[in-house]
Amino acid sequence: MGSELAQTDVGDTVTGGGEQKETGRFKLSNLFGGSTGPLLGLIALCIVLSFATDSFLSLRNFLNILDQITVLGIIAVGMTFVILIGGIDLSVGSVLALSMMVLGYLNIVAGMPMGIAIIGALAASAVVGIVAGILITEFKVPAFVATLAMMSIARGLANMITDGSQLIGFPPWFNLSAIIRHGGFLTTTVAIMLAVFVVAILFQRYRAGGRSLYAIGGNPEVARLAGINVKRSTVLVYMFCAMLAGLAGVTLAARLDAVQPSIGIAYELDAIAAVVIGGTSLSGGTGGVGGTIIGVLIIGVLRNGLNLLSVSPFLQSVIIGLVIVLAVAAETFKHRKK
Amino acid sequence: MKSIIKAMFAATAIAGIAGTASAQGVGIEKIGLAVPNLQADYFNQIKLGVEGYAKKLGIEVITVDAKGDTNTQVSQVQDLLTQGIDAFIYIPAGAAAATVPTRLARAEGIPVINVDREPEGEPGDTVIYGENILSSYEVCSHLIGLAEGKGKMVIIHGQKGTTPEVQRYEGCKRAIDENPGIELVDQQWTQMWSPDEGFSIGQNMLQAHPDIKIIFGQADAIAMGAAKAVEGAGLSDQIFVGGYDGDVAALESLAKCDTPFIVTATQSTQAMGVLAVNSAIAVVNDAVVPARQIPNAVLTTCENAQKFVEKHP
Repeated sequence: MGSELAQTDVGDTVTGGGEQKETGRFKLSNLFGGSTGPLLGLIALCIVLSFATDSFLSLRNFLNILDQITVLGIIAVGMTFVILIGGIDLSVGSVLALSMMVLGYLNIVAGMPMGIAIIGALAASAVVGIVAGILITEFKVPAFVATLAMMSIARGLANMITDGSQLIGFPPWFNLSAIIRHGGFLTTTVAIMLAVFVVAILFQRYRAGGRSLYAIGGNPEVARLAGINVKRSTVLVYMFCAMLAGLAGVTLAARLDAVQPSIGIAYELDAIAAVVIGGTSLSGGTGGVGGTIIGVLIIGVLRNGLNLLSVSPFLQSVIIGLVIVLAVAAETFKHRKK
Repeated sequence: MKSIIKAMFAATAIAGIAGTASAQGVGIEKIGLAVPNLQADYFNQIKLGVEGYAKKLGIEVITVDAKGDTNTQVSQVQDLLTQGIDAFIYIPAGAAAATVPTRLARAEGIPVINVDREPEGEPGDTVIYGENILSSYEVCSHLIGLAEGKGKMVIIHGQKGTTPEVQRYEGCKRAIDENPGIELVDQQWTQMWSPDEGFSIGQNMLQAHPDIKIIFGQADAIAMGAAKAVEGAGLSDQIFVGGYDGDVAALESLAKCDTPFIVTATQSTQAMGVLAVNSAIAVVNDAVVPARQIPNAVLTTCENAQKFVEKHP
C-alpha cells in the first residue's frame, strides 16, 4: 500500500507540471485531471479481480459494468460540480424518483409521447434544483439544509403523483434502449452516460464557466470580486445537478421498464462516495469530473467483482465502506505530506 | 434454530453419502438466488430453505441481496448470469417488480422460478407464493372474535401496491365486512414492512384513537412494533394485535404470550425454498410445473406457536 501512495504523489506532481507547461505530450492522467491515485487503485482492483475469478475479465462483463454504473455515473457528474463549488446536494435520489414519476405519469397516464414526457421530467427536476439554488444564494440557507428539505419535498411529491403506487406500461422500445447493444457494444442509456461524461469534461476544462467553478469553490468572495456572478453560477450548478439526476431517472425507468416513487433512496450517498473516492475535496475547489468517473468505475467494478466472487451480501457492504475510508485516508495523507 | 442446524447437519451427511452422483442426477449444478432484502426474516427463511435443500442435493447456490433496491437487483442478476447459473430463483425487489431480470435469464435459456411475486407481463416458469387472502381473513376473524365482534379497529399496511399488501387487506376487509360491529377507523402504510414504522404509526394511531380494540399489522415486524407502542401506552389489556408471516422472533414472542401481539399466520417459508429448488429441477428436466404454486399459511396463536418455534415449516 505504501508504494502505491508514493506513486500517487509522483503522478500528481507530473500531472500538475503537465497542465501548466502544456508540453503537448498526451498523458492519460491529464484527461482525468490529477486523479492518478484512484486510477491506479482501479487498475489494481481490476488486476486482482481478473486473477480471483474467471468471469471478470471479459467484454461481456465489462459491458455489464457500464450498464450497472449508468445511473450512478450520471448523478455523480452533477454532484461533482456541486461539491466543486463547496456545496452538497442531498436531494438527487428524491429528484430521480420525482423525475421518474413525472415521466411515468405524462407517458402512461396522460398518454403523451415519450419526447414530451422526458422534457417534462427534466423540467420538474430543474425546478427542484432552481429552488434549492435560490434558497442557498438568496435566503442564505446552508446547502446541506436546503437540499435536505428538497429531498423530503421531492420524495413527497413523487409519492403524491400516484398515491405511492408504481406505474408500468411504457412503450416496448423504451426498455429495449437499455437492453439492445448497438454494434454489440453500446446501449442507448450507456451512450447517454458517456455523452454526459464527455460534455462535462470539456465544459470543466475549456469553458470559462467551468473554470469559474473552481474559483467559487476556492473562495466565493474572491471569485465575486474577480467578476464572476457567483449567485447565478450557484443556482445554475444546482439546476444542472438536479437535471442530471432527472436524466438518470429517465435511464433508470428504461432499465426497469417501470417507475415507483420509493426508488433511489440513499443514491445521494453513493454519488457523494463516488465523488470523494475520485479525489474531489468535500471542501470544494479541487478535483473534477475525471476523478469522479474513476470513482464511479471503482464502485461499479467493486460491486460487480464481489458479486462474481459470491461474497456474502453482508461482507460486501463492509468492504465497500473500507474502500471509502481508504480513499479518503489516502487523500488526507497526500495533503499532509504536501 | 437448533432444529434447522440439525437438519442442515443431516443434509450434509446425506450429501456426503450420496456424493456428487446426485448433483449430476438432477441436471443442475448452480442456482442463482436473487433476494430483495435479507434483513426481512421472511426472505431469510426462504433463502435458508433453498440453501439447505440444495446442499443436500449437492447444488451450489449463489445468493445476492438487493437491499430493497430494484436497480441493484437488475445489476446483481446480470452478474449471476455471467457466472453461468443453470436456474434462476427470482424474488423481485421493490414495489415495481422488474421484468428485466426475467427477460435477461430467458434470453440465455435459463429457467426462471419466481417466489413471493412475479413481474407483471413477464411471468417465469412458475411462481410460488404464500396464500394471503384466506389466511389474513382467518387472522382478522380471530382478532374480531377476541374483541367479541365489536369495537374500533386499525390496519397498518405493508408497502403500498405490493401483492401481499393488496391481498392481505382484501382478506381482512372480508372479515371486517362480516362484522357490522367493527369500525375500521384508520389505515396507514409503511414503506419497508419494518418494526420501527409499525411502532411509530401505532403510536400515532393510539394518540388519535385511544379506544382502539384491534390492530392488524400486515407483517409480524409491523405488528410487533405496534404491540410495543401499545405496551408503551399502557393499553395492553384492551388491545389485540395480529400479524402475518410467522417470523422466528414473532413465533418466539407468541410462544411466551406476554405481549398484546397474540395471533399470526405462519407461512411455510422453508418449504417454499424447497419447492423452488424442486421446480427448478423439474423445469430443467422438461417436466410439467404448475404456473402457480400456493402453499397455505397456518393460523398461529399462543397455543400452537411452540411447535413452529421448534421446527419452522
